[in-house]
Amino acid sequence: MSIVLPFAAQILHAVLVLVAAPMLAGVSDWLDARLTGLSGPSVLQPWRELIRLSRKTQAAPDNLSPVSQLAPAIGFGVTLVAAILVPSFALFTSLSPVADVILIVSLLAVARVATALSALDSGDARSGFRQQEVSALSVIAEPAAMLSVVAVALMAGTLNLDSIIAQQREGTLMPAAASVIALVTLATLLVTDTTQADDHLAGRELALASVTRWLRRLVWLDLIGGIFLPVGIAMADAGPTAWLIGLGVWILKLGVFVLALAALSAVFGRIPRRSLPGVLGVAALLALLAVIMVLASAGTA
Amino acid sequence: MSLLTLLFLVLASVAMLTLGVLAGRLPRTSPGVLAAVCGLGTLLCLPPLLMGPDATGLNLPLGPPGLSLHFALDSLSLAFVVMIFLAGTAIAALLATAPGVPQTDTIRTTPLCIGGTTLALLAADGIVLTLGLVTVCVSIRPRAVAAPIMILVAVCLLTPPGYAPRFDAIRTAPADLVHAGAALALAVASVATMLWRRPDKSGPVTDMLTAGLLLPLGSYLLLRLTADLSATSIQPWYGFIPLLGGAAAAVAQGWTAAASPRIDNAANALVLRQAGLATASIGLLLIARADDLSAAASFALNATILTVIAGAIGGMLAVLAAHSIGANAGTFRLSRLGGLIQLMPGASVALSAALLTLSALPPGMGFVSLWLSFQSILSAPRTGGMLSQLPLALAAASLALTAALATAAAVRIAGIAVLGRPRSPRGAGAHETASRFRTVMVTLAAVSLLAGILPNPILWLLADPAAHALFGATSRPASAGYSVLAVVILVAVASAGAKLLPWQSRREAKRAGPWLDGFPPQRGLPFGEPSAQSAGLGFLPDLARPARPALIRIPAIPALPKISGLWLLLAAFVTFLLAVGISG
Repeated sequence: MSIVLPFAAQILHAVLVLVAAPMLAGVSDWLDARLTGLSGPSVLQPWRELIRLSRKTQAAPDNLSPVSQLAPAIGFGVTLVAAILVPSFALFTSLSPVADVILIVSLLAVARVATALSALDSGDARSGFRQQEVSALSVIAEPAAMLSVVAVALMAGTLNLDSIIAQQREGTLMPAAASVIALVTLATLLVTDTTQADDHLAGRELALASVTRWLRRLVWLDLIGGIFLPVGIAMADAGPTAWLIGLGVWILKLGVFVLALAALSAVFGRIPRRSLPGVLGVAALLALLAVIMVLASAGTA
Repeated sequence: MSLLTLLFLVLASVAMLTLGVLAGRLPRTSPGVLAAVCGLGTLLCLPPLLMGPDATGLNLPLGPPGLSLHFALDSLSLAFVVMIFLAGTAIAALLATAPGVPQTDTIRTTPLCIGGTTLALLAADGIVLTLGLVTVCVSIRPRAVAAPIMILVAVCLLTPPGYAPRFDAIRTAPADLVHAGAALALAVASVATMLWRRPDKSGPVTDMLTAGLLLPLGSYLLLRLTADLSATSIQPWYGFIPLLGGAAAAVAQGWTAAASPRIDNAANALVLRQAGLATASIGLLLIARADDLSAAASFALNATILTVIAGAIGGMLAVLAAHSIGANAGTFRLSRLGGLIQLMPGASVALSAALLTLSALPPGMGFVSLWLSFQSILSAPRTGGMLSQLPLALAAASLALTAALATAAAVRIAGIAVLGRPRSPRGAGAHETASRFRTVMVTLAAVSLLAGILPNPILWLLADPAAHALFGATSRPASAGYSVLAVVILVAVASAGAKLLPWQSRREAKRAGPWLDGFPPQRGLPFGEPSAQSAGLGFLPDLARPARPALIRIPAIPALPKISGLWLLLAAFVTFLLAVGISG
């Protein structure tokens, strides 16, 4: 029983993230439209898009290498595994021993690299230059993400995400100010995430790239929700009743996050591209400040 | 067994030095003999490696009384000897299979460098150590002969008054704090001098020797002089010198790799970045060792050894692939390369494997060492207040930043040179590299990828015995908590599932030319305007000159016109006089 329940919770979690990612994108688009006074598309629109794209005949440019053919699938696979490793409704599922915060952040980096290589391989000027810009921004964004999770890991004394969340639930992660700073950093990274599907993709590759982008957003939301708002998460071996409660709280949290993001976007607008390096630089400095606070507070305790 | 192995290794190093001196007379057979000696040496190192070596010493009554030559073999030196011999086998095999007669300079440099490195690794006193280092510097870094002298001075500073500069004497009477600190600073400066080279002095064999031999040798010297010989005298804040120095070097070299317009310079910068990371890990080791935290020290040692292995294997692979590309595509400039995966698939795959190893992306070896370094920071001492914790925070930031820079460099090199369309007519005419290069590159690529996915056996063989010997770590191996194999399998299954999913469209893919934003292709350019692609020049700006710290110019001996036995004897004699003078 002690093996079966965590395994079942893991399978359920994997299915849920696959279903939730397009739904979340649909809800997000609908909310964005509603908050700006438009009727908005259906929340099922992402599913319709996926079906439409999967029916299209592939167009394969002559100069494409196997990298381009494999990159969307690898990007999807890597992001899906990252999403599976971040808990949603239950803690300590079967894969929790390998749910390492540095590994999760690095898997997201691998997915971005796959997208960038695919764009550069296409030889398309617009996609290539855009990915070049994204790569340059990642030099600031990825250290910020890494330092944020390291700050939280330093508070918990472990890199394991489930253990970190469990300690946060018990309120033992100190100092709280460093937690807040790390939260602000991760939220900034979520808002400024510039990864997107590119013009050079079409058909099923574009469908995969779209799902990858939605999954990536879900990973960030789950990471923030899990680490900084670990309310209602069940233990994997607690059984279906506790899972149901965890599931309900997870859906509620996702709804609140998406609403907050849409409201922020409606009130303040999108961050201009030229301001992104400055915003990301501030986020990186905040993450460094969080690490210094954690180490200094431990050193003087 | 260990004594026999030590005896063989000493004889092998002497044989390699002799081979180097006689290389001009035996140009055809020399590389083959060198490959055989290195291969045999690797095989003979395996039994003590598997059984756990006992520390063994060997005294050769050569030289004046009290200053005979002392050799020793322990877990630490054995781990590095294996690395050196494996790298030496690869380089010698490459030379041995070269068509025609190789250049005399090349076949002389290689055995001298490997022999000198082996001698330095087996040294149990300052004289043998300096002799080995002088040989290495004379053969490959003639302008860095100050480095061995600095090491000799460091050993003499650690030696108790009235004793010969022998390692066992140093261990019995630890140096005071000032001497230990000065020795540490000298060791760091010496290693930096030895590894630094001008970017325009590039060649395939020289670069491979730097990655495969000098990088492990530099890390070994730092470990031996600090974590072993002056371990009991080291204060926690001493570790900040290599920690911050190495981290700064790793960031600077990562930036250089991500901004360099030439593929060979970028590859060399990635190798030097590994040297910076290894130095920073040694700093973490010293901090943990001073506070007697064996778990943190074990993580740091594992990170050091894995960083060195990644730098050696990945570095040799990267520079070999870069030089193959430069030779066969006619240019080293990234802005004139492109589409090499279609033209040079072997070299392209090798370069990609090297970039995965040298960057910090899973499942490469670079990621494992990054993970171990963060584990070490996580387990580092939390005492001493803000001032002692700030360097750890800065080190964490530097590790994260250099990881991102290495990723950017990998994307840029692979995306521009390997993928896309050719950017110049000469680049479009590139042809696949020779099969002997491909064989070596494929072997190195396979080893590096396997070591990234399964690092635990390597660490169990090389790092854990060294940790036990250095600070008596008896707890579970630091590497035991790392497991990326399950994640790799999951990613493979998920990706294959997405690729093989029964999509609704049953029609075959339609072949089409490149998408040119709706415009017809220009006359004579059926695949579009090559220069419309990103040329990799805008990823990162060049590291601004004012941002670089002023380089300290260390007095260097002018480049030697010819390396010969006479020069070696002269250098040995000067070293001997200096040692006698310093040790009184």
